[in-house]
Amino acid sequence: MIYLDNAATTLIKPPSVERSVVEALRTMASPGRGGHQPAIKAAETVFNCRVEAAELFNVSDPEQIVFTMNATHALNIAIGSMVEKGSKVLVSGFEHNSVVRPLYAAGARVSAAGRRLFDRNDTLNDFESKISGNDLVVCTHVSNVFGYTLPIYDIAELCARKGVPLIVDASQSAGILDVDFKRLKAKFVAMPGHKALFGPQGTGILICRDGGRPLMHGGSGADSKLTHMPEYMPDRLEAGTHNVCGIAGLLSGIRYVKEKGTDRIFRHEQKLLNIAKEKLEGIECVEIFAGEDQSGVISIRISETDTEEAAQRLGEKGICVRSGLHCSPFAHRSAGTIDTGTIRFSFSTFTNEKNVYDACRAVREICKKDR
Amino acid sequence: MQQYLFMSRSMTTAQRAARLLERNGINANVVKAPQKLSTNGCGYAVVIAGRYYEAYKLLSDNNLITGKIFKRSNSEDYREVTG
Repeated sequence: MIYLDNAATTLIKPPSVERSVVEALRTMASPGRGGHQPAIKAAETVFNCRVEAAELFNVSDPEQIVFTMNATHALNIAIGSMVEKGSKVLVSGFEHNSVVRPLYAAGARVSAAGRRLFDRNDTLNDFESKISGNDLVVCTHVSNVFGYTLPIYDIAELCARKGVPLIVDASQSAGILDVDFKRLKAKFVAMPGHKALFGPQGTGILICRDGGRPLMHGGSGADSKLTHMPEYMPDRLEAGTHNVCGIAGLLSGIRYVKEKGTDRIFRHEQKLLNIAKEKLEGIECVEIFAGEDQSGVISIRISETDTEEAAQRLGEKGICVRSGLHCSPFAHRSAGTIDTGTIRFSFSTFTNEKNVYDACRAVREICKKDR
Repeated sequence: MQQYLFMSRSMTTAQRAARLLERNGINANVVKAPQKLSTNGCGYAVVIAGRYYEAYKLLSDNNLITGKIFKRSNSEDYREVTG
């Protein structure tokens, strides 16, 4: 099997991740709930993960790291903290439904800036021309469909200059690109644990500038006489028992990323991306969506072949890719692919060159068969 | 033998405080605070045995004094420490 659906979830994890999950399952209880050894061990693991995440993302205090179920959960907290009915919110043209749906559910008035793919000047200029009068900007760092890396630090500077708060969706960049919370000056940065941070599914992180509005209410292990969630972080946003097994795995995943280095991981994925571009460009029936400022994600369409059927056929050859709209109709509208969707290949540090050559060969075979 | 309890606003803050003290050679443990000292029910504290002033300065310099401080000698009950 060749797994090229890493933009959804990384399937191949560092071995330490699996070991940590199993160890947590066997030895750790509820963190912040009891004073006994299994509870303390769980609390130490959760704390260590906060500390390592804070270091990786240049966050001052581990209290600013909130554990969530996934990036969607994190974005729901962030958006719920910032948006009231009628709030004017500017988003990029490449947002995922994890941003778009919570905004509409909250009654925001949403507009989009920068809908031209792989055109950082257009993105930036459009944000510049539309930002005034907005209450909030929500922007993805990297498009989950096309790998387009938006000029997020320039957008952040613009937001800071105009006094508009910013939420960053780092779902496709955390663990691959430099995600520097201090430099982003964002209110919130949301990310999953189960993609390039190599944690298990059911893990996510929300980095908070200064608190937020709880999405869930319940036990926090402290100040139990209060009938409301505590004001202090991270407890305010973490009701209920943590996913300790997941966080233990995420801790190992983050340690792996820190040891390997995001620069090295990024360079590896760029190498694979360039191979994919070169090989796919040579196939006549393939339309590739590629450009500058692209991370290790590439989308294609095969002429006269339905994207879902193509992905199904690749799956039958043991090549796991994602097809359709990737929960990002916004991005597909921007790119003009809303009616067809695309076939997406996404790499990880565990993908090798042969995997990419083999996948491209399989695409060529599908093309031949259809002609 | 004297014990000092630095009441903490949260488990995470208590962990930060304990780690800072440990890094500076002061043995510290995070414990569940006695109910009678937890104003709002259930809380966490950092316990040290001695070296109080050194610990206080470290925690204070790092904004990690987030609750009351108590002292207990042998079988005595807890007494609040002020400053």
